[in-house]
Amino acid sequence: MTMLWIADRIFGLTTVYVLTGFVLWVFAAMTFRDRANKRRCASAAFWSILGAVFVFAGSLPHWVTGLLVIAMVAIDGAGGVARGDYNESTEDERAEHARRIRDRIFIPVLLIPAVTFGLAMIFQRLHLDVNRGALVGLGLGGLVAMAACVRITGDKPRVMMNEGRRLNDAMGAVNILPQLLASLGVIFTAAKVGDLIASGIIRIVPSDQLFLLVLANCLGMSLFTIVMGNSFAAFPVIATGVLSPLIIKPFGVRPEMVAIITLTAGSSGTLMTPMAANFNIVPAALLNMRDQYGVIKFQLPYALTIWSLHVIVMWLMIKLF
Amino acid sequence: MNLTDLFKLSGIVIVIIGLALRLRTTLVVVTAGLVTGLAAGLPLLSGEGIFQGVPLLTKPGQEGIIDMLGRAFADNRLMTLFIITLPAIGLAERYGLQEQSAKVIRKIAAATVGRLQIVYQIFRVAMGASGIRLNGHPSFVRPLIFPMSVGAAEATFKANTAEDVPETVIEEIKAANAASENYGNFYGQNLSLVQAGILLVFGVMTGLGYSVSTLKLVLYAIPITAISIILGAVQFWLLDRRQRRKADQPK
Repeated sequence: MTMLWIADRIFGLTTVYVLTGFVLWVFAAMTFRDRANKRRCASAAFWSILGAVFVFAGSLPHWVTGLLVIAMVAIDGAGGVARGDYNESTEDERAEHARRIRDRIFIPVLLIPAVTFGLAMIFQRLHLDVNRGALVGLGLGGLVAMAACVRITGDKPRVMMNEGRRLNDAMGAVNILPQLLASLGVIFTAAKVGDLIASGIIRIVPSDQLFLLVLANCLGMSLFTIVMGNSFAAFPVIATGVLSPLIIKPFGVRPEMVAIITLTAGSSGTLMTPMAANFNIVPAALLNMRDQYGVIKFQLPYALTIWSLHVIVMWLMIKLF
Repeated sequence: MNLTDLFKLSGIVIVIIGLALRLRTTLVVVTAGLVTGLAAGLPLLSGEGIFQGVPLLTKPGQEGIIDMLGRAFADNRLMTLFIITLPAIGLAERYGLQEQSAKVIRKIAAATVGRLQIVYQIFRVAMGASGIRLNGHPSFVRPLIFPMSVGAAEATFKANTAEDVPETVIEEIKAANAASENYGNFYGQNLSLVQAGILLVFGVMTGLGYSVSTLKLVLYAIPITAISIILGAVQFWLLDRRQRRKADQPK
């Protein structure tokens, strides 16, 4: 009994949240000492608050967590999350190391998916929650990969944490965006925004016409993505406003099946929009293209084709399964 | 539709305008949440514990917007768990992860521009399926795939240098390079249990009250991923054919 309890605790989400919080605190401490970062205090504050949310959010009152989130967003809104100096390696150094270590460098990186998938499978065998297995596996995989990487490269853990901080800062505050968007979805649901959108669509599309509803769902998802440049931002809106009330509930559809296809219908929108600058405009600049919309023009026929196939595949899957 | 209903949509308007104006995304999203909640008449704070009975800020029996924000943010920490993988990936990069990956791509790379894009798209799907997050445009496309593609085009056009390949061809190659990265990235990452897209869908659907499994989400992502690879292959094959015809034209 006690053994089971201990195992449950170790292989619980709280453990990996706390570990991730510690990693964030290490990043925060290194950021605070990084004089090359012009906003080092604000940046360190941002990452330590996020670390605190990871470590303590399970036991804090929700309103405290809510205020911490608002504090983080305020720091980011004031431009407080900046980059510093990471003592990066040179191209020659990396090529030199690559010659010495060769394919062994893939071991730590591949350990992450291996442990993630392995633990998910073990959880499934034991009839435990597969989702939890995968997430705990991701956390443990991260730790195992850290140990393997230090062993293979022979470098110091300090250097490793600094390299982790380099990747973390490269993304910056955008890291927490999926979490914020999911929260926005929760607020939209409580405010009944979804019902409002659904009632608007019902005025145009008859509620028993499955194909037209699937079409409206995929069209809405892509249009929102094209305008916002971000399919992740569009998903909570469409899921609460169209997918759940007009397709999943009335037709008794498996939520997983239609939800993931709705998300990638958004990706088809991402391929068409200059708003997704990271994917469509920045690469054109990176490659010195004459036409800054050259990438989008190339992607357009592909995007329109795969979007239409989304509508058909979703409709067929609902009909068949 | 009455006036309150219209106000509730202000959150969506804020997101659309805010992101269109390229304002800071985090700020736009949280503002939209707060405004939507207030427009719907939700209280800022739950009327429990130390805030019990506080007028204006709370309403009896209703969860506050700030509480909701905190609860949802805490529940969805799983979406940001990937941070724990960054130190190992970062150190591996310092010790030549990208250089070694480039060698692997070179080994399996094919002789024409189109085939090279097909190989790269599949490589990118495999990376995504392994749960590795990566911005391939600066790390692979610009330094590796583009020069390799130009090399392949030189062979097709029997040119000695890149200057001898028509400029329109080079421009089309650049677009194809960026596209193969985007196709592989967007449709490949949903084959992993722990990538951002799967976790976002999991979080949002759970928030809507469904019990969903990440494993099933991945399974149902497979048809679209397969279609994305086939469609890419068709487009890149057509690109090859176009370039071959152009190369065969008498000058």
